[in-house]
Amino acid sequence: MNHLMQFSSSLQGYLAVGAMLFSLGIFCVLTRKNAIGILLGIELILNAAAINFVAFSKFRTGLIDGQIVALFIMLIAAAEAAVALAVILRFYRLKQTIDADEASIMRN
Amino acid sequence: MNKVLLLAEILTVASALVVGFHPNILYASVFLLFTFCGVAVMFLYAGADFLAGAQIIIYVGGVTILILFAIMLTQWLYKIKLADLRNKMILPAILSVAVAVFLYRALHQMVATLPLQTPEALEKFTSTPKTALMGHALLGSYLLPFEAITILLLGAMVGAVWLARPE
Repeated sequence: MNHLMQFSSSLQGYLAVGAMLFSLGIFCVLTRKNAIGILLGIELILNAAAINFVAFSKFRTGLIDGQIVALFIMLIAAAEAAVALAVILRFYRLKQTIDADEASIMRN
Repeated sequence: MNKVLLLAEILTVASALVVGFHPNILYASVFLLFTFCGVAVMFLYAGADFLAGAQIIIYVGGVTILILFAIMLTQWLYKIKLADLRNKMILPAILSVAVAVFLYRALHQMVATLPLQTPEALEKFTSTPKTALMGHALLGSYLLPFEAITILLLGAMVGAVWLARPE
C-alpha cells in the first residue's frame, strides 16, 4: 500500500495513468459506432497527452512550458468539440442517425 | 496527502474504463465527467493549480455539458435507443493493450536514463502559485501561439454556428 502510494506520486505513476487513458481512448474510438462516442474517445486521448506534458513539466524541467502546452491542448479540444458537435447535429438532420458508418458521402 | 492523489488516479482510470466499455452513450459521457475531475486533481498535485481550474471550467463545465446536450438533441427527442451498437471488439482491445504496454515501457526506459528534479526542487515547484507565471509566459514568449489560438477559437465558433444553422 505504501509502495503504491509512492508510485502514484512519482513520474512513472503519472505516465502509467496517461498510457492507460490513451489506450482506452483508442479503444473507444475504434469500437464505437456512435459519432458522439468517438468524440468521447478523442477527449480521453487529448487528456492523456495533457497529463504527460504536465508530469514532465514538473518532474523533468521544473518550468511551466509543459503546462502552457497543456493549456493549448485544452483550448484546441474545446474548439474541436464545438465543431464536431455542430457537424454531428447537421449530419443528424440529414440522415436521422449519428451512426458513423452511415457517413459515407462527402457531399450533400 | 499521497492518498488523495492515489484515489484520484484510481477514479480517473476506473471511470475511463466505464467510458470505454459502457454500451450506453449517456452513461459513458457522465463518467467522462468523473475522469476529467480526477485528471484535475492530478494536475493539482503536479503543481498545475491554474490548469486544474481551467480543466474544471473548460471540460467539466463546457465540453461534457455540450456533449450531453448533443446526445439529448439527437437521441432523446426521437426515442431512438441509446445503446451503442459495437463493431468487433477483440482486435481493438488487443491493439489498445499493446499501445498501452508499449507506451509505458518506452517512457519508463526513457525516464530511467533522464536526470530528474531533486525532491526539494519538486516541493518548491509544487508550492509555487502558477497563475501569474503563466500569464507572463502567455503574453511574453508564447505570444504568437496565444494569438494563433484566439484566431482558431474564433474560427471554430463561427464555423460551428454556420454548420448548425437552420435550413
